[in-house]
Amino acid sequence: MIFDLWHKTKYSYENGASFCHNITTLKPRSFKGQELLEYNLEITPTPTDISERLDFFGNTVTRFSIQQNHKELIVIARSKVSRDYNLQIESKNAVEGKKITIEKALKLLKEVDPETVEARQFALLSPLISDISPEILAYAAKSFKPERSLFDASYELMERIFTDFDFDPSFSTIATPLKEVMKEKKGVCQDFAQIAIACVRSMGLPARYVSGYIETLPPPGKEKLIGTDASHAWFSVFIPQYGWIDFDPTNNQIPKNQHIVVAYGRDYYDVPPLKGVIYSTGSSTMDVAVDLRPAKAHQTQSQSQS
Amino acid sequence: MKTDTKSIIKDYFKNKSKYDELLTSKMDIKSDWKELLDNLLKIGPEKLASKQADIDWLLAENGVTYNVYNDPKGLNRPWNLNIVPFIIHQKEWDVVEKGIQQRSEILNLILKDLYGKRELLKNGIIPPEVIYAHRGFLRSCDQIAYKTSKQLLIHAVDLARGPDGRMWVVNDRTQAPSGMGYALENRFSISKSIPEIFDDINVKQPSSFFNDFNQLLLNVAPSNVENPMVVILTPGPLNETYFEHSYLSSFLGYPLVKGNDLVVRKGKVWLKSLKGLKQVDVILRRVDDVFMDPLELREDSYLGVAGLLEAVRLQNVAIVNPIGSGVLENPALIPFMENICKYFLNEELILPQIASWWCGQEKERKHVLSDLTSYVVKRIDRSNRENIYFCEFLDKEELKKLTDEILENPTNFVAQEKISFSTAPNFIKEHLEPRKILCRTFSIAKEDSYSVMPGGLVRVAADREELFVSNQRGGTSKDFWIISDDSQNYLQNYSWNKTISNQTLSINDVPSNTAENLFWSGRYLGRTLFTARYLRMVLNQMMHVQFHNDRKSESESLKILFQSITNITSTFPGFTGENEEEALRNPLKEITGVALDSRKIGSFAQSLQSFTISYYSLRNLWSKDMWRVFDAIQKQLKKVKEEEEYTMVSLSAFFDKMITRLIAFMALTEESILVRHGLLLYFLGLQIEQASMTIEKFRSLIIVNYDEDLEYQILESLLNSHESLNIYRHSYSSYLSIENVINLLLLDTEYSRSLMYQIQRIKKDIDRLPNTNSKTELTQCQENIETVLLKIQSVPIEEMLEIDKNSNMRKKLDTLLSDLSDLLHTTSLSISDTYFNHSQQQKQLMDRKIAN
Repeated sequence: MIFDLWHKTKYSYENGASFCHNITTLKPRSFKGQELLEYNLEITPTPTDISERLDFFGNTVTRFSIQQNHKELIVIARSKVSRDYNLQIESKNAVEGKKITIEKALKLLKEVDPETVEARQFALLSPLISDISPEILAYAAKSFKPERSLFDASYELMERIFTDFDFDPSFSTIATPLKEVMKEKKGVCQDFAQIAIACVRSMGLPARYVSGYIETLPPPGKEKLIGTDASHAWFSVFIPQYGWIDFDPTNNQIPKNQHIVVAYGRDYYDVPPLKGVIYSTGSSTMDVAVDLRPAKAHQTQSQSQS
Repeated sequence: MKTDTKSIIKDYFKNKSKYDELLTSKMDIKSDWKELLDNLLKIGPEKLASKQADIDWLLAENGVTYNVYNDPKGLNRPWNLNIVPFIIHQKEWDVVEKGIQQRSEILNLILKDLYGKRELLKNGIIPPEVIYAHRGFLRSCDQIAYKTSKQLLIHAVDLARGPDGRMWVVNDRTQAPSGMGYALENRFSISKSIPEIFDDINVKQPSSFFNDFNQLLLNVAPSNVENPMVVILTPGPLNETYFEHSYLSSFLGYPLVKGNDLVVRKGKVWLKSLKGLKQVDVILRRVDDVFMDPLELREDSYLGVAGLLEAVRLQNVAIVNPIGSGVLENPALIPFMENICKYFLNEELILPQIASWWCGQEKERKHVLSDLTSYVVKRIDRSNRENIYFCEFLDKEELKKLTDEILENPTNFVAQEKISFSTAPNFIKEHLEPRKILCRTFSIAKEDSYSVMPGGLVRVAADREELFVSNQRGGTSKDFWIISDDSQNYLQNYSWNKTISNQTLSINDVPSNTAENLFWSGRYLGRTLFTARYLRMVLNQMMHVQFHNDRKSESESLKILFQSITNITSTFPGFTGENEEEALRNPLKEITGVALDSRKIGSFAQSLQSFTISYYSLRNLWSKDMWRVFDAIQKQLKKVKEEEEYTMVSLSAFFDKMITRLIAFMALTEESILVRHGLLLYFLGLQIEQASMTIEKFRSLIIVNYDEDLEYQILESLLNSHESLNIYRHSYSSYLSIENVINLLLLDTEYSRSLMYQIQRIKKDIDRLPNTNSKTELTQCQENIETVLLKIQSVPIEEMLEIDKNSNMRKKLDTLLSDLSDLLHTTSLSISDTYFNHSQQQKQLMDRKIAN
């Protein structure tokens, strides 16, 4: 499946901004099962300087600055991404990997091969998951029993969050502490992902935050409206000898061909789509619009080839 | 002599600790200390005590301070230096020096590895959590390449003598270590106060170390410019070691800047100066890692520069030490240092360390928790919270709490063996007393090795029983001598023998923040002095009336003067409006408020406070005499505030003293700060303030047309407050008349207290400011001051004197003065707009309220 992805962020400054430095994390990753075919970042006004690099986690970040007075900042990321979940699963490991118990996983994590060493940092606290409340520990303990398969436990955790938590965009902001989310059991995808990560880490196991998109389908018989999609987030659990497995607690499913991965990190702090320092007085407003849909060009092209 | 000998060290034997620097276990004096002790005995306890007082005085006079956050004693606690130095012989030091060089190199290699290949983690030399759980490991600094062969450029090591008699490493400091400047100032102070203490002792001097340091700062510049631009980045005057920042700035001759003096554009770092932007090549920073860049590091930081890390990545600027080096300030590295040393250098560690157990390892954690009270527990990174626990002193509840914390986040804790370090003699109340000490020395990258300061800073525990040696908790310091059998060079002269030219060559290069502070210092100082003089005049007038209250006009004139105080200082309502009656009933109360209430905007005390703040941030430009006068002003104010009751006499006497000191301060400012360092801005501020206040004074005193008697009183007071009565008599030798007063104080072109003269002076100074336009075009500031001048020249004196029949006021004069006041304000704003750092406020695009 090939997708066209369009993500627009617009900031409007009441009194204009004289100067800004920004960093975006918008470029989808490429890995087995997901390939970035095209990518283009359009910034208005045109940046004075712009550069792209890989960050610590291997995500592509773009840094730019605008040195002229501007009332509006518009950042549009356009990507064409090919997704094939079948390539992502290594079937011979999958069966074995899913059987690895939590007890075994904890033991295997003590090893120092590069992949494990890398993964171990995701078992530690992080900027937005900076302390683990007893409530989170208790919530996690229900699913994570030593003799149980890590995969099953994680799957169940995902299901429980989906069932126990209400999707409520009015409840939380990016500054809402995890404790509050846990107490009220309300929030958005990013909160659910971080709750799940905190749960897994409370067991001493590595979990990371994944930012990306999910394709939403219009009600049957209706045309899909442009810009109605949104950024999405979910979590991923490291199963030693198997690898990272993604879970989407907002939609209660293993992310497959409808999910596009942009970046991963310890939590949202590491991978905000757009952040920056501006020099400005007065208030500002932000608008975000995302559109993810099967590529038209691809459809016609594949038809002509068939 | 004999009795003296006893009295000075008699008690020392009694109090001797387990391990002492001066005494052997057999109570003999150690040979390295013999000469020093002889010198101390020769000088004698009384003279030592008086010399100690000299040192205390000298340090206070030089303004050597150390700020303690939330200190009840207030900011700027004086630095303490004990007269008795600490000694290590060259023979022993050679080994210590090698050990430090080795340690610096290992830390350098760790730093390179952690932000590079991370082989130490991949090869199992360090458990990954030791690094990943440490907040000093900054992922944004990953894979940054540097042009310098060493990545760790400065390393401070805290050393103490362990039970085996060797010097042990207690701490490593690698972000922005402090103490170098204090160490140097200690040496200067001891040398100056008591040169005879050095008799027959060959003390190594730090001159060549500081040469190396200066060379390092120049060499790390990434571009090959001939005179790299080096700046010293300070968090600001509230920082605990701000004295040292300004000290190093004056000593090394590099500008002292704050984060908002710098800006990143086109991937380069620029200093905002009066003339525009100037590229910065090297930043010696005293700001901690995470505060350095609000874009990529701590988002709520206002101490750093947005985009700085990218400029580092592009190799357009060098930072000393590189951002991210705080990861080395990690006691969890200690248990692995021996292996790391083998891994990198295939050597054993030369310097012993304190036995440490990282709780992230199961076996070690169990070992520690089984007997927690016998350890000192530390967090692996220094966060805001308490990070060191002396477990033997914790009660049950505290121990339980700590145990729980360790179990919850074992990776964040390290336990260390309790060590009793050695004591050294400290001179207290005419005798020597053993005190625990901690030595800090410095190591800096030089070619393929490290250059170590011979000596350093020794800190002494505040109390005899104190375990924890730290300046943050108070305490004192010592000079640190490395003594040799060979004769040594003398200490290089106080004035730094620079091999490079001073960076600030012309007024164009003055950082705009400095310029702004100078401008405001001038304004506040002008306001303070003007207010003091005016209040003093009124107080004297009150005393006069008190004794000669026969004439009606005098009490009436007093009322006018009271109300003018409110108008001139803008301390409304004061003597005006609804408040009038009550204030007039007890005028001294209101005047005391205008004088001493620092919360009252416009009061003398508040202006002085504002002046203090803007001037304090310019410390690196000060001369020592200025500090002394400044300090005396502060003390005088403090003293008067402690009084319970105020009288006209006491307040007037207070202002007498203040005025003398403020004038002394002004004179010193003028002779200490160079025009090219921005003195012009100070003058501009001063003149603009004085001109504005003169205008206000005239508006409150001579607009209304009074009867002859009253007018005479008012004019006399006006001339008095302007300190112009004598010159008036000299110039006019006539009865006081409004016309002559206006001619003298408003229009005289040659009298320096006249408004006309001040305006012309402002114009002259503005003409000397850098012109950012093309040469022929006038700047906005020039145009504005020109308008002021034309305005005052446009109204003939006859018109000024005209009295409006209806209101019985000199309306045209009032309009003129009011216009002049507005135009001066516009001129001031245009100076501020043109020359000062007016970047809009720094904000996050999205405020995530994360302090990490």
